[in-house]
Amino acid sequence: MSTKMLGIILAGGKGTRLGKLTANQAKPAVPFGGRYRIIDFPLSNCANSGVRNVGVITQYEPLRLNNHIGNGSSWGLDGLNASATILQPYTDNGGSKWFEGTAHAIYQNIDYIDSQDPEYVLVLSGDHIYKMDYDDMLEEHEKNHASLTVAVIDVPWEEAPRFGIMNTDSSGRIIEFEEKPAHPKSNHASMGIYIFNWKRLREVLTAGFATADDMVDFGKNVIPYYLKSDERVFSYQFSGYWKDVGTIDSLWQANMEFLDGTDGLNLDDRSWRIYSKNTIDPPQMITDNADVENSMIVDGCYIDGTIKHSIISGNVDVQRGSVIEDSVIMPGAKIGKNVKIKKAIVGENAIIGDGSVVEEEDGKIAVVGNHEKIGVLPNENK
Amino acid sequence: MKTSKMCAIFSNQHEYSQLKPLTDERALSTLAFAGKYRLMDFPLSSIVNSGITQLYTLISQEKVRSYLDHWGGGKEWGMDTIGSYQYLDFYQNLMARRSRGEEYFDDLIIFLKTCNVPYTVFIGNKMAANFDLKAVLHFHQSNGNHITPVFKRVNRCDIAADDRTFVLSDNNVVAASHEAIELNGEGPFNLSANVYVMDTDWLINELDKAQKSGVSYDISERLSVLAVREKANAYEYTGYLRSIHDISSYYEANMDMLKKDKRDSLLYGNQKIITRIRNEVGTYYDKDSEVKNTLIATGGKIKGGLHNCVVSRRVVVGKEAEVESSILMAGDHIKSGAKVEYAILDKNVVVEKGVTIKGKPESPVVIKKGTVVDKDFILD
Repeated sequence: MSTKMLGIILAGGKGTRLGKLTANQAKPAVPFGGRYRIIDFPLSNCANSGVRNVGVITQYEPLRLNNHIGNGSSWGLDGLNASATILQPYTDNGGSKWFEGTAHAIYQNIDYIDSQDPEYVLVLSGDHIYKMDYDDMLEEHEKNHASLTVAVIDVPWEEAPRFGIMNTDSSGRIIEFEEKPAHPKSNHASMGIYIFNWKRLREVLTAGFATADDMVDFGKNVIPYYLKSDERVFSYQFSGYWKDVGTIDSLWQANMEFLDGTDGLNLDDRSWRIYSKNTIDPPQMITDNADVENSMIVDGCYIDGTIKHSIISGNVDVQRGSVIEDSVIMPGAKIGKNVKIKKAIVGENAIIGDGSVVEEEDGKIAVVGNHEKIGVLPNENK
Repeated sequence: MKTSKMCAIFSNQHEYSQLKPLTDERALSTLAFAGKYRLMDFPLSSIVNSGITQLYTLISQEKVRSYLDHWGGGKEWGMDTIGSYQYLDFYQNLMARRSRGEEYFDDLIIFLKTCNVPYTVFIGNKMAANFDLKAVLHFHQSNGNHITPVFKRVNRCDIAADDRTFVLSDNNVVAASHEAIELNGEGPFNLSANVYVMDTDWLINELDKAQKSGVSYDISERLSVLAVREKANAYEYTGYLRSIHDISSYYEANMDMLKKDKRDSLLYGNQKIITRIRNEVGTYYDKDSEVKNTLIATGGKIKGGLHNCVVSRRVVVGKEAEVESSILMAGDHIKSGAKVEYAILDKNVVVEKGVTIKGKPESPVVIKKGTVVDKDFILD
């Protein structure tokens, strides 16, 4: 059985800049928008685009991620001719196969990719928030007879030096790639989304690693090699919302944009749903003492306090007298009585004791880690 | 594979004309309850939460669409896996076979023999309750009876005309009344939960005897008769239970979910109530919204007021709209300035701008599925 386009999601990164939130889980497993995890976006995009076989490459702290993905049934990837496969590093006669970079991770999983026998491989990263039709990108890839198509998004010029910038000719063909240029010639930033002709990529990776011309990373090694070898490398222009949530600031900001609807993601659109693993919890209860405004709340919550401009994820308890403002509370957190939380991200299953204050100075974002306990907990009080 | 010692018969036998128009197009089993559930979620969750993987469902042909739409392949309930066994049968089939003089319980008997497990549980479709069937089985095993009925002590007003009650002596069933009308006084009465745990071999034998003598195909009725004959030890269920049989019992049971003890008993108990997954985004509360004492599912957009309400998925409440003491089902849209009080709005009802709908606590207004309400509707 062959697959026209196989999706590979790179989900092995630690996400160091997310600090406590990724202390015990991979970045793609970090919750977003109340009921999602970051990886739901590429996975749902795959399902919605008709990419029905998806490999997810994991490495750092994969437990939560593996549990979330399971057999892919939450995204409908468990049907006939569909699959979601977790790809973990493993050892063989040649030694261990820890992934050293994005392209190396693909190289180490050649056996899996060959088993799917794809014509094209779609490489995605597991840490971006966006909705995109990969089938449309594939159509352009085929129309251009490209060997590689790189999705690009126009970023503000002043931010271009932070990105990998693709310089293109009038036909959209990429003629130059500059990683984080000080003086960018264009503002077409690579989104880290690639469609490769598998046959050619396989040759390049295999030959590269055989001759110590290591093809470890797509940005550093593979794309420059493709350009040098005069492969047909094209850009695919994307113009929707796209957010890298790699830092505490950007994660908080993306959540707030989602809450305010300024991101234009429109997750109410039932023709392009974002799916997630659903734990089937009771509806949320808003009590007589609660005061909720400008906020989004999910199933399983019990709200007895004040919520202003915040996202409250599933199964969160907020007790009487507590005030939560401009914050993101992740699933399962328990907030005691008379707690004040302002401009914060509270991690999964965190417990905030009665009367605690979670707030930073100078407008910085306060972060409470997953399972972290703050203040005196109710049962220690007795 | 080690499996449950029980298999289940789930009987969707109850339909009440008193619940119209809510049950015009759907089975009682698929009536929305507590924001995101259907009534059938309660018996089915009780079944699968006890580890049962073999299920015989009896339903009426006319109402099968809404049932199958909700149940799908039983994926959410874990009934689509290896080792699980489902059989769907229709009451009309039993009826037709009986009228032709055929043996109408044969399919059920074949199911029970195929399951090859020592115990069988029978459960009806109208009770909003969260049964621990393993506990009932344990009680059944330690008593050595052939059949163990489950009952709940309730008052007269909580019993439907066709509900059965038991007269108990030392917890043994000595009589069953068939019509609540026969009951004298206010109670409490021992309402049959329409849940029975039985020895499978004994049940097969009784079903065979029943079909040979041509008695009613109503299994539930037969089981209550057998419980009396066997002087069975009855199991008292002490958690939340409500018999849903008319508009007021339906309305009150939903409103019960706004009370912490009752909500905790039914929805936050040891056993989770499972329902069909819809991938809705979180519910958004606008800066001008005012929501108090309300149970609400996801996908909503709330700009107005909700007080003492039970609200399903994807409900939109416009600016300065006020909804009080009402049940809103999925997809309802209350436009700005509208007032809704003591009402049950079926799915996809639109209440136009500034329109008032007002019922009474003892007789809430019921608005049919998909209605666009553009004129005031006030009960006086």
